[in-house]
Amino acid sequence: MNKNELVKLIDTTKCTACRGCQVACKQWNEMPGLKTRNWGSYQNPPELGWNTWTLVRFQEYVDSKGILKWLFRKEGCMHCTDAACVKVCPSNALYRTEFGTIGLHASLCIGCKECITACPFDVPKYNPHTDTILKCDLCYDRLKGGELPACVKSCPTGALSIGKKEVMIENAYTRAKELGGDANVYGDTFVGGTHVLYVLGEKPEVYENLPARPAVPLTIVAWKDWFKPLSLIAAGGVLIGSFFHYITHGPKDTGGNSDQTCKGGGE
Amino acid sequence: MIPKKGMIKVSDTFERIVHWCLAISCIVLMLSGLGMMFHSFNFLAIPVGGLKNLKLVHNFTGLIFIPSLFFAILVWWKEAAIFDVPDDIEWIKCAGGYLWHVENPPETGKYNPGQKAFFIAVAVFGIIMIISGLIMWFPLEFSASTVRVMFFLHALGFFVIFPFFFIHLYLGTIGVPGSFPAIMTGYVTRAWCEKQCPKWLREMEENGTLEVFGEEKPAAEHH
Repeated sequence: MNKNELVKLIDTTKCTACRGCQVACKQWNEMPGLKTRNWGSYQNPPELGWNTWTLVRFQEYVDSKGILKWLFRKEGCMHCTDAACVKVCPSNALYRTEFGTIGLHASLCIGCKECITACPFDVPKYNPHTDTILKCDLCYDRLKGGELPACVKSCPTGALSIGKKEVMIENAYTRAKELGGDANVYGDTFVGGTHVLYVLGEKPEVYENLPARPAVPLTIVAWKDWFKPLSLIAAGGVLIGSFFHYITHGPKDTGGNSDQTCKGGGE
Repeated sequence: MIPKKGMIKVSDTFERIVHWCLAISCIVLMLSGLGMMFHSFNFLAIPVGGLKNLKLVHNFTGLIFIPSLFFAILVWWKEAAIFDVPDDIEWIKCAGGYLWHVENPPETGKYNPGQKAFFIAVAVFGIIMIISGLIMWFPLEFSASTVRVMFFLHALGFFVIFPFFFIHLYLGTIGVPGSFPAIMTGYVTRAWCEKQCPKWLREMEENGTLEVFGEEKPAAEHH
């Protein structure tokens, strides 16, 4: 295992939805705030966008005992180990960093939007002004400089923390155990383990826009892991096959070369 | 490659134009597609100045491919999409003598079953490539699960079309000598015709519609 692997832990039970992370993210990454419409929720902007790489989702939930709960979940790139976006990216614009996170060379992006389709978490967003996608890179530049990601740095309640993978997984399970009830750890058991973990207060199914069992879509696996090698084998096969056909079976005899036949026909 | 007296016309001008529009757009699409599908083929983007341009080349060549395929189907479906039972079945059983020695392979019409299979593959998977390609061009207008299936179909299309394409290229040039002029000048030798499309040749002669270079055109074919 990669010793540099980092994991960001989001303890949703400690989040007060101050949205400091959202602002810090925009500030550090110099992303503009765009005009949005009030749709009756503090969740603003309403969804992730090319200019919004992280977002606190607000959700009202009535549990089985009839108790109304206000759930806050910081949404953003999960930095999968088995990342569908990296698998499909034709230009290597999306890549795995030494921290196990998924970085983005926006200058290499060709705007094909394949990652948008492939991502099981619906994270990458398209910026029509630059014809590239954009997404959280877990502040790769800050991590390289030994700094905390902007969101973690800004978090006043300790809901966000980052550290070595094993340590963070351990912390997550300790915290979930401490909370008891439906509290659980989300992220370490699928798509090869995400580099963003949640401690969720409720079952994953309860949360809006959060797949309960995320996976690299089967069609993407079929496309990239099966048909890519298969098409190379097929293409190589006919190239080599045709060559050997020519030197063994030989070309078809279609009545000698055209000149002789023509003379015959013309005379 | 000037046709000589006595050569037989097997393809008209429109057929040859359609063939080459389809062939060239297909080759450009395959090369540009490969350049995007495999990182090891990314170098194919160098001549056009990068992958972003290669994407544009691929997408806009697709727009040439669409009418080319449309006319190809229109022009050839009657001769190349309908199997001639039972002769074609017999031909398939001995692979037309292309793979092992066969004393007298069954006679074929204008196109043999191998060519028919190629035509059908290109027609069917060409349409699949067009539909999936257009959806992939505008993926945000469709649900992610729909677009994912299109990616898969697009890869499947390449997997099917490329081998057929290459075998067609091989047999249309060095594999079956004398074939290439059929799609360049439109004229082939009578000997070639007797080997490659004897049934068609007989039928044309019986109808008196055969066009022979250097001889007066049959009345029906006057333009």
